[in-house]
Amino acid sequence: MGSVKMQARLLALVLFLLGAGSTAYQILVQKVPLSQDEKDPVWVLDAQISFTARPSKPVKVKMFVPPQGAGYTTLNESFISNNYGVNVNQEKGNRQVTWSARRADGNQFLYYRLMLTPRFAETAENEPGPQFRPAPTLEGPEKLAAEALLQPIRQHSADVETFISETIKRVNELENDNVQLLLGSDLSPENRARVVDLLLAMSHIPAEPVHTLHLTESQEQEPELWLRSYNGRQWLYFNPVDGQQGLPEDRLVWWSGPEPLLSLDGGKSADVIFSVHRNEMSALQLAQSLRHKDVGSFIDISLYDLPLPAQQLYRILVMIPVGVLLVLLIRSLVGMETLGTFTPVLIALAFRETQVVWGVILFTFITAIGLSVRSYLEHLKLQLLPRLSVVLTFVVIVMALLSLLGYKLGINSGLSLALFPMVILTMVIERTSVVWEERGGTQSLKVGLGTLLAAVLCHLLMVWQPLVYTVFTFPGVLLCIAAVMVVMGHYRGYRLTELVRFRAMVDEGR
Amino acid sequence: MFWSKTRKALRARGVMGINQRNGDYILRYNKRSLYPLVDDKLQTKNMALDAGIRVPQLYGSIATEQGISTLHRVVETHRDFVIKPAQGAGGDGIMVIADRFEDYFRSASGRIITTEELEHHISGIISGIYSLGGHRDQALIEYRVRSTELFNRISFEGVPDIRIIVLKGYPVAAMLRLPTRQSQGKANLHQGAIGVGLDLSSGVTLGGTWHNLKIERHPDTANAVAGLTVPDWEECLQLAARCYDLTGLGYLGVDLVMDRDHGPMMLELNARPGLNIQIAMDDGLLRRCRIVEKQLDSLKGEDRPVSERIAFSKQQFAVAGPVPQEQEAPVADEPQATP
Repeated sequence: MGSVKMQARLLALVLFLLGAGSTAYQILVQKVPLSQDEKDPVWVLDAQISFTARPSKPVKVKMFVPPQGAGYTTLNESFISNNYGVNVNQEKGNRQVTWSARRADGNQFLYYRLMLTPRFAETAENEPGPQFRPAPTLEGPEKLAAEALLQPIRQHSADVETFISETIKRVNELENDNVQLLLGSDLSPENRARVVDLLLAMSHIPAEPVHTLHLTESQEQEPELWLRSYNGRQWLYFNPVDGQQGLPEDRLVWWSGPEPLLSLDGGKSADVIFSVHRNEMSALQLAQSLRHKDVGSFIDISLYDLPLPAQQLYRILVMIPVGVLLVLLIRSLVGMETLGTFTPVLIALAFRETQVVWGVILFTFITAIGLSVRSYLEHLKLQLLPRLSVVLTFVVIVMALLSLLGYKLGINSGLSLALFPMVILTMVIERTSVVWEERGGTQSLKVGLGTLLAAVLCHLLMVWQPLVYTVFTFPGVLLCIAAVMVVMGHYRGYRLTELVRFRAMVDEGR
Repeated sequence: MFWSKTRKALRARGVMGINQRNGDYILRYNKRSLYPLVDDKLQTKNMALDAGIRVPQLYGSIATEQGISTLHRVVETHRDFVIKPAQGAGGDGIMVIADRFEDYFRSASGRIITTEELEHHISGIISGIYSLGGHRDQALIEYRVRSTELFNRISFEGVPDIRIIVLKGYPVAAMLRLPTRQSQGKANLHQGAIGVGLDLSSGVTLGGTWHNLKIERHPDTANAVAGLTVPDWEECLQLAARCYDLTGLGYLGVDLVMDRDHGPMMLELNARPGLNIQIAMDDGLLRRCRIVEKQLDSLKGEDRPVSERIAFSKQQFAVAGPVPQEQEAPVADEPQATP
């Protein structure tokens, strides 16, 4: 006996760990949203390209677009253009889209839209960069100025990282003569970045400009210039204007390298306007829309993979063990009597179609009618089987009359009896009358009320949306439920009703 | 707070709950395959007859609708008899015929019953009205037990019976069940009969229980229920203990009746005996079962003769506490438990 008990506990533990483990895996690794209402930000980035086409000349527009999978998941990417061919290709870690047309006339507008979300994103992969580059040759005063600047930088730095931030700091000391000489009259961030790059190149430190977009609600945003350098382990990002190090979370790298964003053949006065919007999408919807894009999200191995009608069915089916567990607890812990274990759950399922209030009224009314017919038939001294058959026939007639009455009165919504609740009601009446036959009217009333109460509780639990979501999304919960059931199989404590029943034995002791 | 206090107090008294009874006793000691032996009274009766255990005499059984017409032949030679379903539960469907005249019968409560009514009742039994799960059943017609004078004082109509719980052949608890007006002559507690605890060592009645309450007098006859001695008590214990050897069911409720002329008889067996006996005896079943289980452990599964088992139970479960045994003591080194 002891070893069996141990075995059962072990089984329960294994079931529980399996269930909890799979749920934890789904939450922690697959990042499955914990609740249905969980919202994720979705960034919508729009780039509007406008230019004037030269008449009767082929047009070719090349623009960089963000590389994929760099800290964000792409939900949707679209290239909107009229009469243009679109082609996307990879180039040295950048992606470039090419719009081309044989001929275009007048003002042209091309649109690029990108929808991003931080959920389900893999961390940006660390593609190694160069760690050395040859120094450019400088002549005359520029060489002198650069060397004069580099002298203190070398003294004040310990490694590549500090060297770069020290360089940026120096270049931004605009009153410095050497800096003024190198910058000339152009104080734009691009030019400063160019000078920083030049100084770094003199010291053989590779660096490249990256162009980033700030993910914040904005219109006509300009890409912000950053510098990055590979130190052998990872990319280091620097803001060339204030020396700030490390790319903030809300920056998106659009492209890297010194090339301009846009290059245009066969047109003039090209312009790009960026705008960023923030949307919200429920995490679940997000995952579902990702499924179509074949992104490796949790959907692939879950019940969400089923066709929609089957999903609807399983949403109900996975709740049955939850209801059964509740009935089990009600019976073993509380000691309330019900008609079997499964019947209250079935009635609860029937309540889905009748609404709970109507369900209770119908259940009580029809059962009462069925039982009064039964007791009259008993008076006629009919045998058991014919008696039950007559009762069931009358139940069907009563239901039909009720539906008819409801329809005539125009309350067809509440009384729309489907086949399923009808079958269950009939079954309940049969079982209640069997209890009546075997154990008397009081007992059958007690059992009937217990069943009704358990059914209502089950129904409320089984349609509680957060729970439905949890069980449906994390089927491992079912294993945990099974574990509780196994443990309950060895529960030997008193039921609540027994405390009342045996109270006489305790009161005397006092 | 209140609940946990009650819980603790019950635990301390060794009261057995339904979960515990089902899991640790019925599931453990009663093999499912043996249930039909006790669920079908006809089988039980035949088995008991073979083993020489006294049971009410069977006049005949009816299993088919056609067989109902043989009723008059079966009861021809008997003035009084009992009709009961072979697989009934809780005493339902039992009809007691106390007398007959011309074509009419009179029930124990004095109601006049026609032959048609009797036949309809049998037809109902056969169709399974009273059987568990509504299976087809048989109607048994058997000897009507006559109550002894002593019991008549403390029961209303009907015949009281004695319920003895037997664990592995050791009687652990006993009570007398007295019919009341409310129970309509039936001796089942949930129908309103009174349970009166019995001292296992002597067969003397203790306090009573009625609907989970403690009582001292019979509600219908107003006679005190305590202090009476059940006659032939030793024989009752013998019968009960032998039922274990008969069926192999380790946790068994044995129902006995006391007949005026024939003494104690085994009426039926129950593989899922109720727990109200604890209130009647004012003692926990669990406490007593543990004592027997300890004894079983120390015997290492060795079977003891009936007389030795009864001696052990009498010694352990005497109400005044364990009484020292006069014969050779097989359990002399057992720790003495006090109630």
